[in-house]
Formats: sequence, C-alpha cells, structure tokens
Amino acid sequence: MESRKLVLVLTGVAVALIVVIGGFSAVLLLGGGDDDGSSGSDSSPGASPAAGSTPLPDRVEGELRLFGPDPITLDPACASDAGSAEYIVEVFSGLVSFDRELNLIPDIASGWDISDDGTVYTFHLRTNVQFHDGSRRVTASDFKFSMERALNPRTQSTVGEVYLDDIVGARAFVSGEANEVTGIRVIDDNTLEITIDAPKSYFLAKLSYPTGFVVDQREVGDSTCFSGANWTLRPNGTGPFRLAEWSLGQRIELEANSRYYLDPMPSLAKVTYILAGGSALIMYETDEIDLTGVGVNDIERIRDLNDPLNAEFVEVESMDTFYIGFNTQEPPFNDRRVRQALAMAIDKEFLADTILKELVVAANGILPPGIPAYNPNLEGLPYDPDRALELLDDAGGPELLNDKVLLTSGRGASLGPIVDALLLMWEQNLGVTITVQQEDFGLFLRDLDEGDFDMFDLGWIADYPDPQNFLDIKLHSQSDNNETAYSNPQVDELLEQARTEPVEETRFRLYREAEAIIVQDAPWIPLYHGKANALIKPYVEGYVVPPFVIPNLRYISISR
Amino acid sequence: MQGLAPYVLQRLLWAPVILFAVSVVAFSLGRFAPSDYVELQAGPRASNETIERIREARGLNDPVYQQYGSYVLNFLQGDFGDSIIYRGVPVEDVILPRVWVTVQYNAVVILLTFVIAIPIGIVAALRRGTWLDPMAIGVFLLFASVPVLVTIPILQWLLAVQLGWLPSGGWEVREFYGVEIGLLSKRIILPVLILTLPGVAGLARYMRAQTLEVLDQDYVRTARAKGLQGFTVVSRHVARNALLPIVTILGFELAALIAGSIFLETLLGIPGIGSYAFESVKSRDYDSIMAIVLLGGGAFIGANLLVDITYGFIDPRIRLGGEVR
Repeated sequence: MESRKLVLVLTGVAVALIVVIGGFSAVLLLGGGDDDGSSGSDSSPGASPAAGSTPLPDRVEGELRLFGPDPITLDPACASDAGSAEYIVEVFSGLVSFDRELNLIPDIASGWDISDDGTVYTFHLRTNVQFHDGSRRVTASDFKFSMERALNPRTQSTVGEVYLDDIVGARAFVSGEANEVTGIRVIDDNTLEITIDAPKSYFLAKLSYPTGFVVDQREVGDSTCFSGANWTLRPNGTGPFRLAEWSLGQRIELEANSRYYLDPMPSLAKVTYILAGGSALIMYETDEIDLTGVGVNDIERIRDLNDPLNAEFVEVESMDTFYIGFNTQEPPFNDRRVRQALAMAIDKEFLADTILKELVVAANGILPPGIPAYNPNLEGLPYDPDRALELLDDAGGPELLNDKVLLTSGRGASLGPIVDALLLMWEQNLGVTITVQQEDFGLFLRDLDEGDFDMFDLGWIADYPDPQNFLDIKLHSQSDNNETAYSNPQVDELLEQARTEPVEETRFRLYREAEAIIVQDAPWIPLYHGKANALIKPYVEGYVVPPFVIPNLRYISISR
Repeated sequence: MQGLAPYVLQRLLWAPVILFAVSVVAFSLGRFAPSDYVELQAGPRASNETIERIREARGLNDPVYQQYGSYVLNFLQGDFGDSIIYRGVPVEDVILPRVWVTVQYNAVVILLTFVIAIPIGIVAALRRGTWLDPMAIGVFLLFASVPVLVTIPILQWLLAVQLGWLPSGGWEVREFYGVEIGLLSKRIILPVLILTLPGVAGLARYMRAQTLEVLDQDYVRTARAKGLQGFTVVSRHVARNALLPIVTILGFELAALIAGSIFLETLLGIPGIGSYAFESVKSRDYDSIMAIVLLGGGAFIGANLLVDITYGFIDPRIRLGGEVR
C-alpha cells in the first residue's frame, strides 16, 4: 500500500518538474533573445556582446540609461547623502540652483533683492511653476511649509538645521519655543522674504541643497524622515524630471517634465536607472548603460590609450578633501611640531599617483581645486623626512607617539592601501608605530564628536562651492563640525570677517590668509582631493561630469 | 494516518515559541551592536544634539526590553515597522517584492537540483567499481566543497566577462497580469547555475550512498534472484527505497539556500531578500532585520514541518511523535 502512495507522490513530483522545467526552458529559448535586443534567430552564437557588430539594445527614443544604487530617501527634507541628492535635484527644485559652470542661478525664484545690511532676502517666485501632476502652482507658502517641515523636530531630519539654521527664528522653532520660523515670511503668493541672522554671502548657496526644496504639502502629510514615507515612491515634485516609477532595488524611471520652467527644457524623454546588477563597467561594455564612473581597479586599463574605452573617458577634479585630523586639545597633538612632523613625513604624491593610480590629486591645502578662492600657489608642508624628524625630536622624540591610535571607519576588513602606506611612512621616516582602530561609521562619528580620539582619517565633500563650506565649517573654533577642536583666534577672526565681507575679492583673500595659517598649524594633514570620472557613450551629448551634485540631466541629449 | 493531526498541531504550537526565542535573540543582538541607525544615517554634518533628539523621539534610548515590548505589540497589530535603507517605507512593502525575487530563482534551483542529482546518484552507484565512479565522486566532492563565495566570481568572470554569454548580474522582470516575473530573463541563469552545482553535487553524493546501501539489502538480492530485469529492480526496488531519506534533505537544502542567497545576491546585485539582509545588518535597519529573521525562521519551520508530514505520508512505518511501534 505504501509503495503505491510513494509512486503516486513521486509521479506527481515528476510531472510538476517536467511542466515547470519544460516551460522554463521553452520560455528561455523563446524569450531569451529579447534581453540583448536582437531577434535571436540569425545572430551568430557565441558572439561577444561587447563587439561592435552587436545590434544596439532596444530602447525608447531619447532614453538615457544609467546605473545607480537606490537612493536612501527621496524626501528633500531628509536627504543627507550625495547618492540621494543626485535623484532629488532632478525630481524636485528650490529657490536657487547651480548650473554646470557652477554659477548660482535663479530656479523657482526668478530673482531676489538683498537688503543693504545683507540680512533680508526677498525672493520673487516664477508664476509658471507647477507641481508635476499639474494640479497646482508653487507659491511662497509652499516654501514656508517645506522649510519649516525640514526644521520641525517632528520631521526628525538630521540636516534641517545644518542647512537652514542661518534663518532668524530657526533655532527657536527647532527647540519648540516658537511655532513658526519668524524669519520666513510669505508676502504674497509670488514673494517670499527670508531674514538671516547675519549677512552671509554663502546663504544662497546653502539653499541650493535639497533641504530648502519645495514639496507638495498635500502629499507629505505628517510623514517623517523615518516613517510614513510611502509618498516618496511616487513624489509630486517640481524638478526637470518626473519620477514615473521606482521599483525598489530594480529600477527608477524618470520622464521629462513637460511643464518645466527653465531653459533648457529636458531633451531626454526618459532616464532609466538600473539599480540591480553586478559591475557597472561590464554593463557599460555590454551596452546596457550609457554612462558610468570608473573605479580604482579598472582605471589603469581605461587610461591605456590603446583601450577602446579610452576615447570615451573623461575626468574632472571633484570638490572634496581627504585628510588626517588631530585631537589638537590633547598631548602630544596639542604641540604644533608633532602635527607638522607627522605631516612632513608623508609623501602625498606617492599616495595619490602610485597607490591610488592618479584617481586623486595630492592635496597641498584645505580647499580643493574648483572651489573659488582655491590657491594654487599655497605653501603647504612639504614632504621632508629630515625636517620632520627634527621637529619631532624638538617636541620630545618619537616616544611621544607610542600607543597613539589612528581612528578609522571600517568593518574589520583590511585597512586599505592608504592607511597601510601612512603607517609605513611614519614608521620609516619617524620611527614611530601608530596603531589603528577600526570602528563602524556611526560609532566613529560619535567618537569624533565627543573628541574621543588621537587622530582620524576622513573626507569632506563640498555642499556648495564656497570656501566657507570648508574653512569656516570645519576649522572655526566654535563650529559643530570642527572635530579637531582646532582653535586659533587669528583664524577665527579672519573667518568671521569673511562671513560678512561683501566684496568677493576681499572675502576670498581673507579665506586664503586663513587657509595659509591653518596649513602651517596642521590640525589637518590634507592628503588628497578626489576626481570624478565617467565613461560616456559617443551618442550621449552635453554631459559634463559635475564636481558635486547639481541638476545635470536636462542638459543631456541622445543623438543617433 | 491517525496520529498525523495531533502531531502537526503540536508542531504548529511550537512554532510561535521558537519564533519568540529567535526574535529575542535577533532583537537584542541588534541593539547591543555598537552605534545605531540614527548615527549611521546622520553622517558627519549633523550635530550631537540633533542625533540625540531623534534617538530620543524614536525610542532608541528606552531600555531594550521596553523597545522589544513595543516592537512585539506593533508586530501583533500588523505593524512591522519602517525600513531604514528605504527610509520610512513600511518594511512589508520593501520585503515582500524581494521575497518574491528570491523565491523565484530558488524554486528553480530546488527543482533542478532534485531532477538532475537523483538520476546521477543512482547511475553512479550502479557503476560502482568502474572508472566512472571515482570520477563522479571526485567531481561531486569538488563542487560540493567549493563555497559559493568562490564559484560566484569565477563563473561571473568566465561566463559574463570572458565569454560574454550571460549578463554579469542583476535582475530583470516582465509583467504578466500585474505579476513581475524574473524567470524569463537570461539574468536568472547565472544565479541558478551557481546554486545548482553544489546542490546537485551534494545531493548526488547522498543519493549514491543511499542507493549503495539499498543495493546490499536482502530484498534486492531476492528480486534479482527471482530473475527480474536490471532496470525493473532499480526502478521498483532500489530507487524507491533510496529516495525515502532524500526527502528530509529538502529542509536542510532550504536553509543552505537562504544562507547562500545572501552572498549570491550581494555579489550579483540581485534585489532579493538575501542582499537586503546584508544591507540591513550593515545599516542597523532594526525593523528590517527582525522581519527577515522572523520570515526566514518561519520558512524554515514550515519547510521542515512539510517534510515531516510528507515523510509520514510516504512511509507510515515512521510514526510521528517519536514512538516506534
């Protein structure tokens, strides 16, 4: 009896298997060809998809295909990472933005007046800006709502205050002492007045960050940065592109916003981001995407003039600085000579050119190239092992640095070539052994904030192209972001003067002076500045590799 | 089949207890890990006060048992929390599409594994002593002992980069009546191949051993002595009895697949539950981690229960509940 049952069960299983596998392979045979766009019937088997003769994949006319990770969030009030911002600046927009030459340009605001004392900004809004669904135009009260939402503690944004706290009344609102931000006033539908606490020439640039963007108050409801964010899967924005679909982890599809109000209008009909997949470079080579960046493992190959991809490669310097920071309040790093010694024992050219294969450029000062006020003639601390040893001996000798720890963020894997090289250079040039402690990024940042470290390595990427974003935010003694606790009254004074200096030339000179002092004081060892690079298919026109996040897609077109 | 119903009931009653234990461990492990998602998400720009304020508002400063209590309370009301990786999106909206992706290719893997491995195992046993046998064992051992972490980059390099036969990874769907199916894309071949090879090798080895054992049984000798043809003996007496224990493997196979899919999906960029598990641990995405652990635990319990029931159904000699009569 039991054997009969077994036969029944096994027969059933077998039939199911045959049906499923048969169907599976049939579909594979029939449908498989569509994947590479060829009809499949005549294409020679085994042809390499990278070969030039392969027919181009099926695509919509005017579609640009990119590879991208999912954004963490598309809520402009919450985004704190460049990855999210890249999508947000295409789907949403704010009062001002940057163009590709990095000029600050009017966006939803068509223009603005600044009061004589430099603290009151009156923005005149365009009257033809509509939300993507076409149901409503954007008014001044939408901006008041959106900015107050970003600042509201209920929203739980980690960046609201970072970008908007220059506005009068913002701090009182955040702490709950006021129920509105008094510095944001709606004059009428087309006029918005923002008052800031002191004249700050970089204030407009800060408004180009997503935190200051406008959202549709009807759809955001009472969502926060950590809950109720379903609306971000299909947001109703105002930017040059409309989010048509976000299939989590699979793809994002943007469509041109036919109501877009700036010139040029988007030329691309559609932009598809492929979110799943292994190597972006392989996808580029197999014509699955039109544009990609190149990492350190492939860079040598692409730079080779004989490589077919070389002709499609471009790179620009990006606006960031990677550095070693010291705890300037604790011995031995409160002694400038010790910091200088460690700095002068590092061969930055070797780090940048040999180890990172020219993916970066060696840094002399704090400001990266491309930031206005960047000083190409800055006198940095040179690589000089003998001088470094002298300085260290003057300060008390190598034993000062016994048991000192370099804090780095990581997950217990290898330290990476840069940290390895630093340790080796310090050991060889100064005879000191620095230990390394790896910490998870969150914990790492907490220790930095609390000053619980000897030295650390970190990078800083520009939020907006202004020297204030580096020097004042990172190295003013009172700044929240000054992890090194560096404090030099002379530098503070220069930075404070620069904040309110109306003449740009003078302002930049002040920053250059401050930077020169900082570099000699060496609270940081600036190591290198990154580069952004891209491989671009020849039929993609108008793409410029941006040195930081700007709305970029509307300048691009496809020609073939 | 008396005895089956109480047995199933008993197992079902145990399931919540097991899941409870699993959830306590997963929950507290998550909370005791250094730093939390607010810190990780805040980045270098946010001030300490902001971070602390958000942490307080989100209940992360409460004692762990209290946090666990409110998690369970919400869970029982069908609120599984919100994702951190997709900030603020309800966990179930993120996870269910991913589970569907993982289920699709794993179903193919399980089916292929059984269909290929069983005949191979039987043939290998029958050819014992010929040159075929040691070769087969060698190949099985090789594939069964190389971890997927090694096979993934090798096959990816060979089939996608060098030969260009397959896409290097990713996932592609077509929609049928509103259901997104990924089975129809070439992209599924690489993951299926990677997981099927060691599966087939392991199962075939096991099947070979089982068959050899059965071949030595008296009833097989009797069947041969009766003058039955070789094929009839194998199909009716040998294979059928050798297959019995194989069913149990299904449960273990499932656990191996869940573990394997974490590596596979992360390395091939497949948006399934495995890659999401990896990401959520990295991001301290507490609610997602919990949902994945509970789901995985539930699936494992369910599969093993199913195996037990099937087993009892196929072979009534096995009395459920542990008593042997």
